[in-house]
Amino acid sequence: MNATQFVLALLDASGGRLQGRTLLQKKAYFVSLLSGVDPGLGYDAHYYGPYSTVVDSCVAQLKNLGFIAEESMGFGTYNDGFELRRFDYTITSDGKKLLSTLRESPEYKKIDSAVRKIREAGDPNYFELSIAAKAYFILDKKDKPMSNSEIRREAAKFNWNIQHRSLEKAVEFLQKVELTENQRQEAV
Amino acid sequence: MFAEQEVRDPIHGFIFREPSEQGIVDTPIFQRLRRLKQLALAYEVYPGAVHTRFEHSLGAFHVACRMAKALQLSPEEARLVRLAALLHDVGHGPFSHVSEPILQKYRNGTRVKLAAKQQIHELITAQILRDNKELASWILEKDREKVIGILEGSSGYSVLHDIVSGPLDADKQDYLLRDSYFCGVKYGIYDIEFLISSLRLHADAEDKYLAISGNGIYALEQFVLAKYYMKTQVYQHRIRLITDQMIERGISLGIEVDKLGWLRDLYGYDGSPEHLDNYIGWTDDRLMTRALEESSDCRVKSVFTRLVDRRLLKCILDIDEKDLAEPAVRMKLFAETDESDKFHRALEAMIAGRFKFGEDNDLVICKLVSFPSAVKTESEILVVEPGKKESRFHEKSVIFGTVNEAILKQKFQIYAPVTYKDEKDRNKRRREYREEILGMIGKLAALHQTERPNGVNSEKLRAL
Repeated sequence: MNATQFVLALLDASGGRLQGRTLLQKKAYFVSLLSGVDPGLGYDAHYYGPYSTVVDSCVAQLKNLGFIAEESMGFGTYNDGFELRRFDYTITSDGKKLLSTLRESPEYKKIDSAVRKIREAGDPNYFELSIAAKAYFILDKKDKPMSNSEIRREAAKFNWNIQHRSLEKAVEFLQKVELTENQRQEAV
Repeated sequence: MFAEQEVRDPIHGFIFREPSEQGIVDTPIFQRLRRLKQLALAYEVYPGAVHTRFEHSLGAFHVACRMAKALQLSPEEARLVRLAALLHDVGHGPFSHVSEPILQKYRNGTRVKLAAKQQIHELITAQILRDNKELASWILEKDREKVIGILEGSSGYSVLHDIVSGPLDADKQDYLLRDSYFCGVKYGIYDIEFLISSLRLHADAEDKYLAISGNGIYALEQFVLAKYYMKTQVYQHRIRLITDQMIERGISLGIEVDKLGWLRDLYGYDGSPEHLDNYIGWTDDRLMTRALEESSDCRVKSVFTRLVDRRLLKCILDIDEKDLAEPAVRMKLFAETDESDKFHRALEAMIAGRFKFGEDNDLVICKLVSFPSAVKTESEILVVEPGKKESRFHEKSVIFGTVNEAILKQKFQIYAPVTYKDEKDRNKRRREYREEILGMIGKLAALHQTERPNGVNSEKLRAL
């Protein structure tokens, strides 16, 4: 399965709709980790957390080829007047045709099961998933048990501001989806 | 000790160099850049585009000096960033970027593992910086490692890397203006004076970053547009795409069909000192001349003869995704994956089999052309304003705020060795090609679909 098919499968397994680019990015991050299907998404530390330019390109490609539709909606403004926008993605009828064969692949089944696992772990919203992604990204990079304050200190180095309460919730999620080992669970 | 030296440049006026920097410029490895054209065979479209990597390297160096000064970097940081900018292109091969996919294709895959987006000419640049004896007499070993680190983004503050490689780097600031000037177009013009004066250093507890001031937004918007127009009008000009593809195909045929050892040695990058010694001896003209000196039955000679005689391939099909109704076919043709690469090669064979271009049957070339977003890479540039929290370009730009997304426009083109009698003949035959090839694409996709997961059945393909 290539990266474009991965993103399409993720969208399909998520009920055919994802609200917001951040949610899509972070969900792809966790689904790749949980499913073991990694078509080379290559996540890097970014201003808003782990981010994959590959996922971004795949979304652009799927849009360009008419397999997904993007809907943009404004919801308020920043203090300086800049408009906040959210981009929602849905699968088009052509995308659904493509999925009829894709759904048969073993990778799709793994993706579907990973999406279900995330849902069962509380189905975090984009913000919660983004904090969890930042926390896991740091734990993974450091590859050692870390306390909450250590994670927050490390996050600050990436310019990521994580509140204590949000981090606790994120760690809870990571434990539920079994991305943290026991040793880490105790430490964090 | 010699005094600072100056050279006149058509883009920036005087470019001043310290004696040690002049020493680097005078080394044979740097002088070699005079024989690598900046835009390969773009002079087939824009006759003035014969400028080289040499003057571009000097230009990027000059812009980096100005950026370092504007940002008030320490003398040590400024010195290192100047060196990095001066030497950033020293690893380019013949025909510059056109060499890259060939190097990637024929590298020693066992010895050379590439990270995502890593380019071989960048690895060669680092190798030259580490091992070249002429450069060693001008740059201390510890400095060489620092310069490599700045180019790779692994040492020093982020701002140093941002100056030599980033959305607002000295490289782009120079080449947009330079390429515009030599091509005789105005697409790449932007207000460099204002842009540089808008640069700011943004620091936090850990790092320092390149940023722009709030009133620099408009100069940056102009810069982004300049890059976009240059890409669509010059770098991806129809004829330029064809000449690049002809070079690439000619070299591949020279390696695979003609079995030319000298070409295999040149592009078989393995990271060894022996490869490097050979590689740096090659330039555009030497490769072209050597190819033309091969025996007349060599494919590389035939392709390069076509290039010098300007008997270029013609575009016989130019479609976008809307021309293909079937989703699976669209995916196969446009997806930029290994699978679509195989599909393109199979289609080339099918077209050649049908239209029979004689001895040039191997010159049918499928090419996916992508026009990525005009703003995506710049969208994250920091904007700093007194008394305000830093923000991002896409949050501040009125023009680009709404297009902060990976917009992608793709075209699928096929080039072939055809000639037309006149315009009427061309239009008629292009219609015929289009009709037939779209049919072939459908048949081939169906065949791929039924033969999965083991790929195309060659017997069936031949039958088609």
